[in-house]
Amino acid sequence: MKNYRKIIASLFVMAFTLVTYPAMSFCGFYVSQQSKPIFNKTSQVILVRDGDRTVITMSSDFKGDVKDFAMVVPVPVVLQKSDIKVVNRQIFDDFDAYSAPRLVEYYDPSPCNSMREEVMENVKAAMSLTKDEESVDQLKKNTKYKVTVEAKYTVGEYDILILSAKESGGLKHWLTDNGYKIPEGAEEVLQPYIQSNMKFFVVKVNIEEQKANGVEILRPLQIAFNSPKFMLPIRLGMANGKGAQDLIVYTLTKKGRVETTNYRTVKMPTDREIPEFVQQYFGKFYVALYKKNLAKEGSANVFMEYGWDISGQMPVKCDPCAGNPPMLNGLFEAGANWITPTNWGGYMGSLYFTRLHVTYNREDFPQDLVFQETPDRSNFQCRYIINHPAQQYGECSEWNNYRDNKKASRRKEIKELSALTGWSTERYWEYPAKFMGYSAPLPPDEETGYVTPEKGKTTILDSTEIDQNTTGSILEKIGNSQINQTAFINTRTPEHKKPFDWGLGIGMIAIVTLASLAKMQKKG
Amino acid sequence: MQKPPHFHNKWQAITNFLNSDARHYQLLFLSTFFLTGILSLHWNLFPYQILITFSTALTTQYLMVKLLKLPISALKSSAISSFSLCLLFRSDTWWVIIIAAFLSIASKGIFKINGKHFFNPVNFGICSTILLTHQGWISPGQWGSAGYWWFLIGTLGFIVITSAHRIETAIAFIATYGVLFGYRILVFQQWPTDFFFHQFTNGALLLFTFFMITDPASTPSHKKARIAWAMSVGALAFYLQAYLWVTAAPIWALFFLSPLTPLIDYFFKGERFIWGKKANVNTATI
Repeated sequence: MKNYRKIIASLFVMAFTLVTYPAMSFCGFYVSQQSKPIFNKTSQVILVRDGDRTVITMSSDFKGDVKDFAMVVPVPVVLQKSDIKVVNRQIFDDFDAYSAPRLVEYYDPSPCNSMREEVMENVKAAMSLTKDEESVDQLKKNTKYKVTVEAKYTVGEYDILILSAKESGGLKHWLTDNGYKIPEGAEEVLQPYIQSNMKFFVVKVNIEEQKANGVEILRPLQIAFNSPKFMLPIRLGMANGKGAQDLIVYTLTKKGRVETTNYRTVKMPTDREIPEFVQQYFGKFYVALYKKNLAKEGSANVFMEYGWDISGQMPVKCDPCAGNPPMLNGLFEAGANWITPTNWGGYMGSLYFTRLHVTYNREDFPQDLVFQETPDRSNFQCRYIINHPAQQYGECSEWNNYRDNKKASRRKEIKELSALTGWSTERYWEYPAKFMGYSAPLPPDEETGYVTPEKGKTTILDSTEIDQNTTGSILEKIGNSQINQTAFINTRTPEHKKPFDWGLGIGMIAIVTLASLAKMQKKG
Repeated sequence: MQKPPHFHNKWQAITNFLNSDARHYQLLFLSTFFLTGILSLHWNLFPYQILITFSTALTTQYLMVKLLKLPISALKSSAISSFSLCLLFRSDTWWVIIIAAFLSIASKGIFKINGKHFFNPVNFGICSTILLTHQGWISPGQWGSAGYWWFLIGTLGFIVITSAHRIETAIAFIATYGVLFGYRILVFQQWPTDFFFHQFTNGALLLFTFFMITDPASTPSHKKARIAWAMSVGALAFYLQAYLWVTAAPIWALFFLSPLTPLIDYFFKGERFIWGKKANVNTATI
């Protein structure tokens, strides 16, 4: 798993690819300089928004030789050199671990001899800051292509150009003539951005700088700008895309929860009591749940997986914690510059953390994601609960009663599991009565991309972070060690179109029919 | 087949009730929209939002009925306003919901010139509460696009059934807003057509167009002046959304242009609208 992580980490940001193998992604597209396929199906973004100021940090799964790496991202304004940074990949891992869907466990107290166990382990998160690097500012105009090079910088291991263009044909030719290969169909997608007065942020890897810095992996790139547009340009990455892509967005805002205004934002099912054997394959469980939920809620939705008020003065920044809450350094690095450090290593200032998850394709997502910040500060987490049965220590009259109740609740757990994932209840018929030594069958869907977690890495809880109110202990989480993001791409299949919303349809037709009949009564 | 008499009587009673006032149909449709929103779209409402909204709105209205000697049927209007608030307004704080419901209803008594209020009650309630408290919001995304067509069928069914006669206001607004966006998105920016359709498959826009801006009680009385006014709401909504990136722009555009109503009424005289008056029985609004 660790290796996989490294591979992901070694890659990078948004988008796309080659004439023969278009690979899509989030904000922009990769424009490879070689004719080798580059795949980009998953990405993660940190969005920090304060008034009109937006900081976007982008990370994705670029695979291939770094010298082929190149990408284009539409941005609303010409960026200054100080607006562009490379950041440590670690902040993504930390945010992911912190906000991931989690499985928590409880131990039933023995009806005969009450005792409760909790298992906790510590995990440390290391933070480090990166440096901004030297580059040359340069301005030149190319009249032939009607493309203006607004600025040219070298930041970290990247060579960056900011282009503005008059028409997409010129931009396309400019890129082609300068050694970037543009996927077919991109021209049509470029035009709307040019017309919206967007600039183009063009990035490739500076091999010398990369070697000089000793940077083996491409680091996430961060841009900051002022604009009323609070959005993520996903369309460019879908130029001629057919497949689905997966995007996780972490937002940091002052006021409250972030939601999309042009797509429905749906909270994932949470606080469900599920069978204890789910801990053997929690990752697989969550992917199946995600898939079922996508089919149920409709294909053009954004899902909320986490939302928490992590303001400086809040004593409980997660409950229970699946990973350490974001620290001052990480928050600063992500761009939340309104918080102020305190003497004891914490911070002051209002801050709300939102995690949104969207699996999108061209068909269901014709528009870029547009967001709004709401004043909603209520906490939300994807939390699934298992209750271990009590052990029978000696005989007591309460035991029989306890056993019967427990059997009933374990039957409910199986039903809940089935409702959440679609897995048949019959597979687990033995479970309700078998408190010990039950061996659960493996989940039916073998293609969920589940990766067995490393031993000793599953339980994460820093004892210093535990509050008195902490409920249960974290057993497992989806966060970085549990599952790879590509598993979610397969959750979007054609049958997940929602052609007929039964509840809505029947309600509406019934009411129109009833009202029409009533009206006719009057006329008649 | 002969229906049993008791069934027939009940059905007759229901239809008589529905047909006695267009607001009854409105309550029926809005409550259906609301129920489907809760059951099918899983809207996250503040748990007691319905209870708080209705009790505040009805109490306020009742006090106004007593103080201003209004007909008791005004309570129906406040029930409609309550449903609209639950459909459009979101807050996670109980006192903000009280403020919104109170301001909605109270605005009818406060902002009044020549006996006619000029703010749409719900529109004023939502906008003023957001401006005053910064604690409420509108979620245009909550309607999704999957269920849109059902809301459209419901709305069109409602229009046909009630043969709403202020439909020209709705058309003037949506045509202006649609043409301006159509030009910008399709002709100027050259996005594919599904980008444009996505923009317009929105339940909040539908509700605004066919239930809010058609409000006969608070919009200009003169027909041509009202059409021009509705067009200016459409144009302002377009500007706010396309250039200033304002969320739920039509609602804000209506809020800013409502104070023009008394001015327009001063220059362009038209027949005043009064609820319950025979000619006005079929009018739709929130």
